[in-house]
Amino acid sequence: MAAYVARRIVLIALVLLAVSILVFAITTLLPANVAYLILGPFAPPEQVRALELKLGLTDPVWQQYLRWASRFLSGDLGESMLMNRPIAPMLMEALGRSLVLTSVSFVLIAVIGVGLGVVAALRHGRPLDHGVSVATYLGIAVPEFFWAIVIIVIFAAWLGWLPASGYEPLSAGFRIWAQHLIAPTITLVFGHLAHVSRLTRSSMIEVMQSPYVTAARAKGLPERVVVLRHALRNALLPTITVLALDFGRLMGGIVVVETIFAYPGLGRLVVFSIQNRDIPTLQAAILVVAAIYAFANLVADLLYAWLNPKIRYGNAA
Amino acid sequence: MRKLLVLLTVGLSLAGAAPCAAQGVLRVALGTTLSQLDPAKTTIGDEYVYVHLVFNGLSRIESDMTVKPDLAESWSASEDLKTWTFKLRQGVKFHHGRVLDAEDVVATMKRILDPATGSRARTSLSMVDSVSMVDAQTVKFDLNIAYAGFADIFADRQLRIVPKDKLGELSIHPVGTGPFMFKSWSPGDRLELVKNPDYFEKGLPRLDGVMLRIVPESAARMAALESGAVDIVWSMPYESVEKFKNHAAVRTDGVSTPTWDGVILNNERPPFNDVRVRQALALTIDKAAIVELALFGQGDPTFSPIPPSHPYFNKSLKFNPPDIAKARKLLADAGYPNGFDVPMQVPQEREQRVRVGVAVRDMARAAGIRINVERVPFASYTANVAGKAQMYVDGYFARPTVDTAIHPFYHSSGSWNKQLWLYKDARVDQLLDDARKTNDEAARKAIFEKFQTVVEETVPGIIAYSAAHVNGVSKKVEGFRSTPMQWLELKSVSLKP
Amino acid sequence: MPPDAAPRKTWSLQLKAGLAITGAIVLLGLLAPWIAPHPWDTISMRTRFLPPNPTYWLGTDEYGRDVLSRLLMGTRLSLAMGVSATAVSLAIGVPVGLAAGYFRGWVDEVLMRGADVLMAVPPIMLGLLVLAVTPPALWKTALAVGFVYIPQIARLARSVTLSLANEDFIQAARARAEGTGYILFREILPNAWPPLIVEASLRVTYAILLGSALSFLGLGAQPPSSDWGLMISEARSFLDRAPWIALAPGLAMCLLVIGINLLGDGARERLDPRLKSRAGAA
Repeated sequence: MAAYVARRIVLIALVLLAVSILVFAITTLLPANVAYLILGPFAPPEQVRALELKLGLTDPVWQQYLRWASRFLSGDLGESMLMNRPIAPMLMEALGRSLVLTSVSFVLIAVIGVGLGVVAALRHGRPLDHGVSVATYLGIAVPEFFWAIVIIVIFAAWLGWLPASGYEPLSAGFRIWAQHLIAPTITLVFGHLAHVSRLTRSSMIEVMQSPYVTAARAKGLPERVVVLRHALRNALLPTITVLALDFGRLMGGIVVVETIFAYPGLGRLVVFSIQNRDIPTLQAAILVVAAIYAFANLVADLLYAWLNPKIRYGNAA
Repeated sequence: MRKLLVLLTVGLSLAGAAPCAAQGVLRVALGTTLSQLDPAKTTIGDEYVYVHLVFNGLSRIESDMTVKPDLAESWSASEDLKTWTFKLRQGVKFHHGRVLDAEDVVATMKRILDPATGSRARTSLSMVDSVSMVDAQTVKFDLNIAYAGFADIFADRQLRIVPKDKLGELSIHPVGTGPFMFKSWSPGDRLELVKNPDYFEKGLPRLDGVMLRIVPESAARMAALESGAVDIVWSMPYESVEKFKNHAAVRTDGVSTPTWDGVILNNERPPFNDVRVRQALALTIDKAAIVELALFGQGDPTFSPIPPSHPYFNKSLKFNPPDIAKARKLLADAGYPNGFDVPMQVPQEREQRVRVGVAVRDMARAAGIRINVERVPFASYTANVAGKAQMYVDGYFARPTVDTAIHPFYHSSGSWNKQLWLYKDARVDQLLDDARKTNDEAARKAIFEKFQTVVEETVPGIIAYSAAHVNGVSKKVEGFRSTPMQWLELKSVSLKP
Repeated sequence: MPPDAAPRKTWSLQLKAGLAITGAIVLLGLLAPWIAPHPWDTISMRTRFLPPNPTYWLGTDEYGRDVLSRLLMGTRLSLAMGVSATAVSLAIGVPVGLAAGYFRGWVDEVLMRGADVLMAVPPIMLGLLVLAVTPPALWKTALAVGFVYIPQIARLARSVTLSLANEDFIQAARARAEGTGYILFREILPNAWPPLIVEASLRVTYAILLGSALSFLGLGAQPPSSDWGLMISEARSFLDRAPWIALAPGLAMCLLVIGINLLGDGARERLDPRLKSRAGAA
């Protein structure tokens, strides 16, 4: 197990390295560099060139990359070219906020998704099953930004129940902090429920029809026990792998959701740095995202492997 | 299902408690994040809101657009209008405690004049040969041309005075002399300002502080205003104005401004290097319709950066209805009997300019000009579009004076001209040079009226309208009026408890 | 000899519903230029913000244009985006997956690690980055979206190839000294199609959704195009005064995605009920 984990971590490091090179390569193709933005329209060409020299933008790409990489590895994430401030504190704050959002959403997706899937499976073919299907389908069939706007218009503007946007730190009070999280969380959760609930439903249906469950029923165990302790544990296996993938998908979802709800997290930082050609910030932000993604996958795989030997048909509960 | 209900209940129980404003802190919602805290380097309207609250200039503009003393209590010019002397107000303190003196002014100006700083205002000071300190309270400027309105220039945003000993830290910890002091900045989220207890205008400001929140999504911004989470929405979206006309808690406060949007045509690249082609395009445009489509009626058609409300506006010029037949004829004369295709860039972040672009595209089609709209982020605008693209939509904020709003844009040597339409007309050059030499109002009016006539004829670009500036204001805010300069004047504003 | 297919089942309700919905939408899209009642891009000052009425079934937008006509024309754009992006993913992903699954060894390692790298960044961020380097256009967005989804197709192709590679009929082909190309494309591929087609149908929906998110962020379709994502994006400022402008494309997209999902699920059940459900695979 330890060897497997070590191997995977090395692989992750290599993948991150490749990602950093890929992103850097793409940014060299960007049609404007940040020097133009900083100096503006009247800068004489010599001035732009001087600033480019100072920022190291005229060096050959591989040199810029090596310089950036060596600093990065020694912990210096550099300075945002546009805002003249160090990237690391900005990035850590943004990361923290995004992690809060994605973690809360993730837990809710898991709990609600599995719950809905179980309910749908137990009542499959009946109206409740179809109802759950339709509701969750609506979530994934329409782009997230649509639901986000609808939520803002209905719950924030019209009803006034929720704040429209932004973020308040925990220090402002738990209630206020939680309130600001609700709308973006609902948007994210609604947008991803279907994957989890559908998979749970279909694997529950399969497991409920298996000889293992029939045997448990024959033993005279109460239905609740049969469902929860016998069927669910086996049905959850494929769901867990999907959940881990969902965490990665959430990292993509935050790009749009954070933009609409003015939630100052990693997704917004990436969009901002792409639009403003702030390469050091972009590199750092994307690497952090990729790292989280990779580790989420690793955790999923490990979880799967750990759960697997314990879950065997016929094992004592 | 049960879990869903639990969630809903929890959610509803959390509802209804908007974050309370600390008593006396005004909350403002801005639509774009600030990239710069250094006033010399600011470029967008949202940044100017912050600059105006934290810094002062040598002179200031009142909301009736007259120029009054600010940090300079008086100024005088030599006979030939080439040497200007400014006497500074005594006892003005910077936010870090030190008293303002002439060295700070000189340092600020030298910094702006230095190309390495990259300040947009450098060209505003292009007539300055040198700036020097005469004594601790007096600054002297030597100009290379006679310039009657020199003092007016200093009301502008990027020319605000900064302390000589903090020049390197302005991006992280800005220090100024204004009614509010910088407290903290969380990039992309909020900027916190607190009251300056030593502000040189006694009794001001009334507020304890100002919080600038960045909320890019317009629906969210307006929802925040409606629910009381913010007190002012700066430059509210035009489409929302009608909704708030008779609202219980919110009012709209609008003012007409010289801010203009238009279609910039590159006068040196085909096809718009031929004046007939430019005229043909102009003949397809219905400006009143564009005001309706882009601004939902909150603006007025105009011929140039001089708005209809200005005394110099040429009232004898007419807005003619589109004449497609004449447009087609002009195009045929110019060698485009079947029209032509052309791309047009519009700025992604400005919805109203995108709408101008869509409207122009539809109107120009009638004459055979087939426009392909491309939305482009601002970053690309500076590098690839401004002054280079064949046609694009752009707009500019109000400038302190007519000369600063027109000369750099239309004079063949004008700095902004080279970044826009690359327009050259000897008559215009002559008119603008003449205008600088006289202070006689009647003469200037005649000159600028002639200027508008020439510009209508030669069409460097098509300026669609002067836009109104509308703020969404909570009824708890007292003493607030919008200003044509489009920043927020907050020093006399207070909040009802 | 291909393995025995499962016994033919009747077409399930799912499959029929999916086919009906998707088919109807595709048909409407194809016929759009002829059946659209009004021009889709002509500005008309007097008909702005009209709610749905007998002349304009779905109302008009902020420029006075008929929402229904724009919706119909936009159908072609959304379908084209989804299909072409998926075609790109298939065209590159399938050969890559086949090669990785068949050759194993270092070929497999290199290709799969390459796929890992592309998958390390969320699709939308990769799309944003790639599209930032060039002036925006819908066809470029389709290419970018297709490019971004290559790894998922490759992985699926690879796993299917892996499971097929040891079947008897493949060994027999090898014993007959058939060329690699033949084995890959004439023996493996025809049997690998079912799960790939099902996955591809889901990919179309992901491509449509990702494409609309990119349009929303400013890349992708340009005004005055009636691409559904762009329509929703432009309509959001008017949601309180004219909700039909955003609701129409939102519901249309919803229907299309649901239709394709039903189609894909129904097809999967019919083709091979033993296939592990891929619902939820990114």
